[in-house]
Amino acid sequence: MAWGTLVQRWFGNKGSAGLAKDRLQVVVMYDRLGLSAEQMEALRKDIMETISRHVAIDSERVKIDFMPTPAEVTITAPVRRSRTRGEEPKPQEG
Amino acid sequence: MSGRAIVITSGKGGVGKTTATANLGLGLAQHDRKVVLVDGDIGLRNLDIILGLENRIVYHLVDVVRGHCQVRQALVKDKRFPHLSLLPASQIDQKESINPEQMRELATQLKEEFDFVLIDCPAGIEQGFRNAVAGADEAIVITTPDVSPVRDADRVIGLLQHSLGDPQLIINRMATQMVQRGDMLNQQDVLDILAVDLLGIVPEDEEVVVAGNRGSPVVLNEKSRSGQAYGRIVRRMLGEDVPIPELNGHGGLFHRLGKLFSRR
Repeated sequence: MAWGTLVQRWFGNKGSAGLAKDRLQVVVMYDRLGLSAEQMEALRKDIMETISRHVAIDSERVKIDFMPTPAEVTITAPVRRSRTRGEEPKPQEG
Repeated sequence: MSGRAIVITSGKGGVGKTTATANLGLGLAQHDRKVVLVDGDIGLRNLDIILGLENRIVYHLVDVVRGHCQVRQALVKDKRFPHLSLLPASQIDQKESINPEQMRELATQLKEEFDFVLIDCPAGIEQGFRNAVAGADEAIVITTPDVSPVRDADRVIGLLQHSLGDPQLIINRMATQMVQRGDMLNQQDVLDILAVDLLGIVPEDEEVVVAGNRGSPVVLNEKSRSGQAYGRIVRRMLGEDVPIPELNGHGGLFHRLGKLFSRR
């Protein structure tokens, strides 16, 4: 983001253009990836399974986000808090 | 001689492809280049009426492709500008009446005689789009600074990159005051999203409607802001280094403050 844009936002630019840009960047990112809903679901499932093997997570609330700038994929997997101390699975070695 | 065949496309309809094609073509003809405008929108022809040539059509693109006439017979010469010709679309046929290979052959033939072959692409990304692109060596993408045209432009840019490489971008109907108050994407916003080279910006201008009514494209009106913008774009197409004026309407305190920090 250009400094000019940042400064404008700091000073309370309330226009809708910023929102348009943010929304477009996300939608364009998804369009470019060309992933279908099924592929997205498959990705979510794979990641969920992988993480669950090591950490107890709340599988209902696993979220995948694609962020445009810088381009990255973020996986949010809330860790379940019900476990008591000492019961966390040990990191697998070897 | 082999001219340049350029497709003017957008994905989204109604953003100004036909108007831009007419203005760029006329502008190039004013610079003494031989120009043919090909209306690729079979079934929905409009380039003829924008140019004021609607009463002079005898044959059309589909006639040429089917061998019903020679290319030369179908070309409508603009009496006001001897360097400008129009190859009209058929109004009664379908997009599927021609195929990409036929379009390619036609463009090759036209390039022998003209410096510029500008192909006005129909909206959408189906057969009509594929035909229009097949005839071209380069592409210009038109968008307005609105969410759906920008999104569609990105899609079209992705499709073009496979065949023609990176297109150049024209942002049409930029409304300075809306940009100023932060209610319209500015040129940098659009470029951040689309990541292609900017060929020019055309400001929102009522004169475009008047020009359409008259069949006399706005580039002929030297007093109009949009006409001047098209004039600058034409010179850039001819290789001149013409700076793109800031139509962002920025220049207020915050913008200047921002520029202090900016190293762009």
